[in-house]
Amino acid sequence: MLSSSVYPLANPKGVKLLCELCKKTAHYMCTQCRVTYYCDLEHQKADWIGIHEKICQLLIPLRTSIPFFSSEKERWHSQQQIVQRQKHMIDLTRTVAQKLLFEGKPDEAIPGALQSLRFATSVYGTTSAELVPSYLLLAEASIGLGQLQDAEEYLSQAQWTVMKTSECITGVEYKLYRNLGLLYSARGNYEKALWYLADDIYHASEVFGTEDIHTAGGYFHMANVFFGQGKMDIADSMYTEVVDIWHKHLSELVEAEMEKPKWKRMNAALEDPDPGMEDYKESLDVAQQAEAVQVLNAINNIRDQGFVPKHGRIGKVAHALAMLYYVIMDYRKVIDYGSQALEESKLLLNNDKEIESIENLLEMAHSALGYPGGQGPSPTAWVTSC
Amino acid sequence: MALTADIARGFYKNRSAYKPLVQTARVETVRTPAAKHGPKPSYENSMNARHLTRTNASQKIQGCQKPRKDSRRHAWVAEIPDDSHRHHILATDCTEAKYLIRVPNSCHGLDGLLEDKIRSKMNRVGGITASYRNSYKHNICLDMLREGYHRSFSELSALIHKLNAFREAEGPGSDIWQQKTLEEQHEKLDKLQCFLTRAEAAQRAGLYEEVYNSQLSLACYFKGTEDKLLSDYFFETCLKTTAMISSDERQKEAEANANLGLAYEEKGQLNKAVEHYEAFYQLSVEKPWQDEDGCSHYAQACENLWRIYTLLADKMLECDKRREAIKTLIKAFEIAKEGGDRKMEGLAAYRVALAYHANGDPQTAIKYLQMYLKVSELLNDDFGLSKAYEAMSKALVSVGNINEAIRYLEMFVEVAKRLSEKRSLVDACKSLGVIYNTLGRYDLACEYISQAYDIAITLSDLPLLEIVQVHFGIAKAHSMMTAVCRNIEAGKRVNLDRLVIWKNNRIDMFNEPITDAVDETFEDDASETAMEKK
Repeated sequence: MLSSSVYPLANPKGVKLLCELCKKTAHYMCTQCRVTYYCDLEHQKADWIGIHEKICQLLIPLRTSIPFFSSEKERWHSQQQIVQRQKHMIDLTRTVAQKLLFEGKPDEAIPGALQSLRFATSVYGTTSAELVPSYLLLAEASIGLGQLQDAEEYLSQAQWTVMKTSECITGVEYKLYRNLGLLYSARGNYEKALWYLADDIYHASEVFGTEDIHTAGGYFHMANVFFGQGKMDIADSMYTEVVDIWHKHLSELVEAEMEKPKWKRMNAALEDPDPGMEDYKESLDVAQQAEAVQVLNAINNIRDQGFVPKHGRIGKVAHALAMLYYVIMDYRKVIDYGSQALEESKLLLNNDKEIESIENLLEMAHSALGYPGGQGPSPTAWVTSC
Repeated sequence: MALTADIARGFYKNRSAYKPLVQTARVETVRTPAAKHGPKPSYENSMNARHLTRTNASQKIQGCQKPRKDSRRHAWVAEIPDDSHRHHILATDCTEAKYLIRVPNSCHGLDGLLEDKIRSKMNRVGGITASYRNSYKHNICLDMLREGYHRSFSELSALIHKLNAFREAEGPGSDIWQQKTLEEQHEKLDKLQCFLTRAEAAQRAGLYEEVYNSQLSLACYFKGTEDKLLSDYFFETCLKTTAMISSDERQKEAEANANLGLAYEEKGQLNKAVEHYEAFYQLSVEKPWQDEDGCSHYAQACENLWRIYTLLADKMLECDKRREAIKTLIKAFEIAKEGGDRKMEGLAAYRVALAYHANGDPQTAIKYLQMYLKVSELLNDDFGLSKAYEAMSKALVSVGNINEAIRYLEMFVEVAKRLSEKRSLVDACKSLGVIYNTLGRYDLACEYISQAYDIAITLSDLPLLEIVQVHFGIAKAHSMMTAVCRNIEAGKRVNLDRLVIWKNNRIDMFNEPITDAVDETFEDDASETAMEKK
């Protein structure tokens, strides 16, 4: 984070430099992009941590003035390009904000959410349904910060937009209901919270199917509500469902991962450098990873504390966690959870396939730790080391 | 951009006083933090002030532009309160119309399920306005989820999905296309909701028998409404559930297998049905289980297996796989013997015998037929006896034991008379007649066949009648053959006259003292009858 002072009085006439976060007169500038200004260093730091670090360089082409093009075609083309970039920024900022939210840092998520809302309004206008995800992020952050009043306002706005635009963007409605549910559960109104969460699950499963990781979030929150109400049996059954969904999804990912050539013999890797080495990123983006970590750890803790009888299901959570950490390449944790899962499964289940897959996973993790840096064979390191 | 600026201000300035959407009181909220901003050079303050007044102005303009939207939003927010009477009237959703119609129904004493439903809808009215906009299925799903029945929800979704996929696959014009989709059939959705949630609650409590019962009721319900797909699905889930029941020595598993077997039998998938029936049989061997009518499961299993084996054998016979058919029939016979139902045993034996007979092994057929005879005698089953006698006589004929065959046939005739079963009687008499015919005892043959003919006339079965007529003709011709031949051989005038007279009025007078002659055409007749005989 680098900054230099700017003096508002020294600005050219008609140019007002405003703080990126609060829109007050700016006194500082980010020297890396030279297009972002802040009223004080505190705001710059907040923005840097929240989102700016990721988008600093990307902002330059969007904020510098467009050169004049002489032909209509070129002008149109550059306009299109800007819109494309802005759309990309919307996606990026939303994902980052979402990830921070899942990591339990709502205050850090706000700059990203704000940026996304800003870009969305400039691309789609102020009344479009495309703004809804940003509102939802803001609402979620507000809930996280305990500002329920604000959260309700955002959600009302989002709900209104969703209702007005009948063919809403698919896969957004459920998020709206999830946030409404969270809002009410934060307020302690469990009846309404259940209502909205039910609606969340319904909409999510309409779009993604009942056994999708998108739907799992709804189940998880609902289970939390039931847990809060003291209905342990229902909560437990829902937690199990969540674990099952993630377990299934992660198993598929891990299987696909193990198929990849980087785990195969060296010459195979050399012949075929990296066909889609980063594939798994597509199937599990940053926010989803963070969600998985949050959800599965929460369930693991609940199970660990023994509010509900274990019934050997802790093994499955541990297995899912091990797979998750495998996918996000934290191999030490893989070994921790993997051995836990293995122990449980050997004790309580007689499912050979499960045990075998856990053993497989452990073996992979051990071999990955054997590589320099403990990060497994990255394609480049792999090639150079040989 | 102004909007986001507002929001940003909310977060980074005075959070408590901030309202994210347009408010006329914005001026103060902006000013206070600016004042708080601490000691700043005076020129900056003046900058701030200038700047602020501008933004205020722009916000005021904004405030003027927005109130329409704002008021709309407030109007909508005002819909949330629990006062629902207005919406009750406003509700135009078809489900609500349905609901309004259904209230009086409940007064006429519909079942409890419906009343529960209505009560839950009353709750819904007090809940959230959005439920009026939702479809019926949506609301049902919400109800289930709200109470935590997420498995029921996924099951219902999966079912609806499956049915729709099936519908799509069948395409327009098929039977299922004509029917309503499951989403539109509210009563079925109600039933599904009721029993699925009941099953899930029981499952949570670990009461798998209750789960089984709920699933079974659903299966039976859909069987009643002829939703084959659904009933099959629930019969299958029943079977899956039974794997979890440990307390009843797998009685439920046996029952589930029986049900599933029946379902497959009705669908015509005999091989699958056999699997399940066999499982049912295996499970119920030597168990004292009985159903409500006091019929033991074991006996039922045997009966089912016997029936399905017989059906399978029929199929095989159609495809001309005789050996396999005989094997299956023998299996059926063994099972029938175990089942303890003598009648079934007899019938099985009879089928085996027929198969053997058809396969050209009358000896074995006779063995089985004797068993059948014994059983029928024991049970005083005249009908069975008649069939046994008939088959026996046929088998004996093909062995060549004509005398025995005649004995059985006579018994057959007697039994048939006792039964006053006309068709059997016709058959019996005809067979006897034919046998006597081949034996050369034409008088007896004629007698029996004319009996058969008399009875056949009373039946309005033309083909049968024609057959009997032909046989009658053959027998008659044979019985007259010698007399006619004698006359022809004598070749005198008298004989010829006789033949002519006979030819003219068809009255048999050949046995009177003779002095007659023959007509040429008679030979043609004779040859014709001979051909018919063939």
